[in-house]
Amino acid sequence: MTPELRKNPPAPLERVPFDIPKPFETQLDNGLKVVIIEDERLPLVSFRLAFHAGDAHDPIEWTGMTSAMSSMLTEGTEIYSSLQLAEKIERLGSSISASTSGDFTVVAASALSLYSTEILHLLAEVVLRPTFPENELDLYRRNTIENLKFQRSQPGFLAGEQSARLIYGDHPYSKVSPKAADIEKIDRETLASFHAATLIPNNAMFIVVGDVKSDELLTELNELFGEWQPGKVISHKFADPPSRASRTLTIVDRPGSAQSNIVLANLGVKRIDPDYFPMIVMNQILGAGASSRIFMNLREEKGYTYGAYTRLDTKKLAGDFEATAEVRTAVTGDSLKEFFYELDRIRDEKVSDDELQDAKNFLTGVFPLRAETQEGLTNLIVNQQLYGLPDDYLQTYRDNVEAVTVDDVQRIANKRVRPAEMAIVIVGDAEEVLPQANLYADSIEIFDTDGDAQDQEKYNRAESEMTADVAGKWKLVIDFQGQQLPVSLTLDQDGAVITGVLETMLGNGKIANGVVSGTKLSATANAEMQGQVVDFAIAGKVDGESMSGTITAPIVPDPLPFTGSRS
Amino acid sequence: MSETFKLPPLEIEEYSLDNGLKVVLNPDHSVPVVSIAVYYNVGSRNEREDRTGFAHLFEHMMFQGSENVPKAGHFQHIMKAGGTMNGTTSSERTNYFETLPANQLPLGLWLESDRMRSLAVTQENLDNQREAVKEEKRLRYDNQPYGQIFDLINEMIYKNFSNSHSTIGSMEHLDDATVEDVQEFFRIYYAPNNAVLVLSGSFDTHGAKDLIETYFGDIESQPLPPSLDVSEPVEVAANYKEWEDKLAPFPAFLIGWKIPPRRSDEFYALYLAGKVLYEGESSRLYQKLVKGEESVIQLFGFTDERRGPSSIFIGAIPKPEKDLSRIRETIMQEIHDLAAHGPTAEEMEKIENQLINDSVRMRQSSMNRAQQIAEFALYDGDPQLINGELEVLLAVTAEQIRHAVGTFLNTENRALLDVVPAGKG
Repeated sequence: MTPELRKNPPAPLERVPFDIPKPFETQLDNGLKVVIIEDERLPLVSFRLAFHAGDAHDPIEWTGMTSAMSSMLTEGTEIYSSLQLAEKIERLGSSISASTSGDFTVVAASALSLYSTEILHLLAEVVLRPTFPENELDLYRRNTIENLKFQRSQPGFLAGEQSARLIYGDHPYSKVSPKAADIEKIDRETLASFHAATLIPNNAMFIVVGDVKSDELLTELNELFGEWQPGKVISHKFADPPSRASRTLTIVDRPGSAQSNIVLANLGVKRIDPDYFPMIVMNQILGAGASSRIFMNLREEKGYTYGAYTRLDTKKLAGDFEATAEVRTAVTGDSLKEFFYELDRIRDEKVSDDELQDAKNFLTGVFPLRAETQEGLTNLIVNQQLYGLPDDYLQTYRDNVEAVTVDDVQRIANKRVRPAEMAIVIVGDAEEVLPQANLYADSIEIFDTDGDAQDQEKYNRAESEMTADVAGKWKLVIDFQGQQLPVSLTLDQDGAVITGVLETMLGNGKIANGVVSGTKLSATANAEMQGQVVDFAIAGKVDGESMSGTITAPIVPDPLPFTGSRS
Repeated sequence: MSETFKLPPLEIEEYSLDNGLKVVLNPDHSVPVVSIAVYYNVGSRNEREDRTGFAHLFEHMMFQGSENVPKAGHFQHIMKAGGTMNGTTSSERTNYFETLPANQLPLGLWLESDRMRSLAVTQENLDNQREAVKEEKRLRYDNQPYGQIFDLINEMIYKNFSNSHSTIGSMEHLDDATVEDVQEFFRIYYAPNNAVLVLSGSFDTHGAKDLIETYFGDIESQPLPPSLDVSEPVEVAANYKEWEDKLAPFPAFLIGWKIPPRRSDEFYALYLAGKVLYEGESSRLYQKLVKGEESVIQLFGFTDERRGPSSIFIGAIPKPEKDLSRIRETIMQEIHDLAAHGPTAEEMEKIENQLINDSVRMRQSSMNRAQQIAEFALYDGDPQLINGELEVLLAVTAEQIRHAVGTFLNTENRALLDVVPAGKG
């Protein structure tokens, strides 16, 4: 091929049409909705028994109940123990798992289609006849509490917890996780009655995609689920998410953190909002992908981060818009600057026709990719059904994306991207983050990783405190493997710069590279000891007339702690 | 079960271009989607001792533009077309792949050929991607609890430097790298005769062949890369290490064993032994430790599949106050039992069904097919092996599993890494 012909990307071939079949829908007498797509591509089947009951519907005072109930479904039934269930399911090479989200509980099963009948029986067993055995519940409680502790070591979890609280306020979507005390009080009787009231056929749908015959399957479903008694569907009234009037900064202090996890959030749209399509197109241009503006700016141009994105979370009743990145601590402030630059730009300026078309091409192009596997196709159907999207939603998706205009994008950006009212959440080293980020917010709050509020003064490096007075002669004692070694440190100070001498029993060293920042000082001392030159690194913290810290020397593996006072 | 279940073979055609590029075509028209996988025969195993992290740095460089594709244009072109793409680096290879709507096949081939032919190895791109790699290291390794344990244990298992050093590599080595180093690395390892190109999905075979010849046919081949010795002594390099992890909330441990290469009888047997020991809630160790003793929060295990000596790992995050050595005794006790009695008939039945299920599921995605085919083509020179692998696995007997566990796992020749939380809590 000639260099000339290589210059431009080749034109696509003729487009191959792709149509997602419309499912067969019916209902059992007890109100259970059944949705079936016969998919004969491979000998597989996927089942989803889904309920309009999620974590947001936890009873008042019982946070974590829905999640506990769903986790316990596979831990013992009237005829099988937890171990027997695991063995029966896995011996078929198949899986059954239950999970919850804010809005829904979904019990998922998948298998080779030749085991369709066996796996359906097991699915019916765990959904209809769980017994919540005391010993398994006890294990669930203890393991869940340990996992809650573990989550608190994950910066992503800490950021999500704060942003959900700030965006959703008293709405139950604000709770991303129960507390240990919530889990401790969940008991067997309450679980069993909650299960009976919640997993009812008239608040559920059974979705099947796979190598099955609809009529045979319906007969089986009637046998297994026909006797399942309907119940009362509870309606819930939730508080509205708060409206935000100013930009706030929330820092979760994670001392020593190598990075800052940044989340900028404001309220977005719910899944069935008429603005959904303009919203996803705008989000695609702004930050959803690796060719979006925010990624191109923060990663490709600036190299601040491994990835920077925006994200829409569109739930049943509300949603949020978030911009996120994990950046190295030193560029936390610079990253905020670029984020807000991009958030303002998508509001103030019209996007180009090319950018718009690129975003649309992406959204319509990946659509068939998502339906390539049976699990992928099943998830598309499940979402369409659970959120109550139009019957032809999957068939008209392409047209709806194509209909979005440049003006739609600007209109929706101004309405739904709200930089002046955003919640900034940063998980990182508060002492490093605060001076970089405080300019970007109208108010500031700081928490520790347990979620307890901290006094902001602790982290402030105000001008007046910028340089503690460290001049004078300090008598220090180094702890060397249990031995107490006295040394003295004589310091002169000129602003933030310190000079002086370190005196030890073995020899003296001149202080170099000495600086004071706040109450912290760091310096090196170049000492000649018994004919050898040794470099010491000193890191200290001054508290009035006393000082503590560590001295590091290449001859000893670990930093040596010291304490002492000014004489 | 296994006697009655036969998967229809995938349609596979293989050939080479004159410049040595190996091509494999796997047409499948069930969804109008096509996946392209380009596998280069270079991984961290090929790195010099003073240039670790190079293979992975290169994976980044490959997205920085080439003669006709601007910096980051690869992302842009793929996304505009409605595709998805990525690249990854392992000890064994560096791979690049994209899945596109079927009608965008020419675009994918144009992009892959342009960077194979004419990658833009400039000082600016190098500097920029060094920073991105450092950030990736901070994010994935330094800033994650337990983020460094797999790199550490590889250093304990393997003695040969080619095998033992990490893929992310040394940041000092990356800083030392000159543009000339990187250009030379590209010339040697990113030649058409050091790569495999696989297409899987909906395409016309004749049309695809013409396109491949058009785009890749005139890229120059290069002398073969230096030969490589990944041989290992039987013993692990170190039996024990304690690692202070500032971010870890709980103690944890990881045990690793050195085992024979992928596709050896022993490797297959140990892969299946792993399923018995740690895969799923009915597995032996889950039932003993998560249930039973109720001593661990998290239990995991996996095999690291390599062309040379490979490895298998079992790790756990115990509950606070639990005796770690007791948990390890339980693990070794189960291994001992498996070495003495082998898996039960029920366990063998489970393995069979899981293998069949896994292999049917794998076939759904054009990208999964392309990747597996590419591995067989690159490592073994025979992409058709994908059609026989299920049968090979199903033929492994309980006695073979017992014997392999006895030889390779039930031994003191293993590495133990203890993670000690060293943070402020």
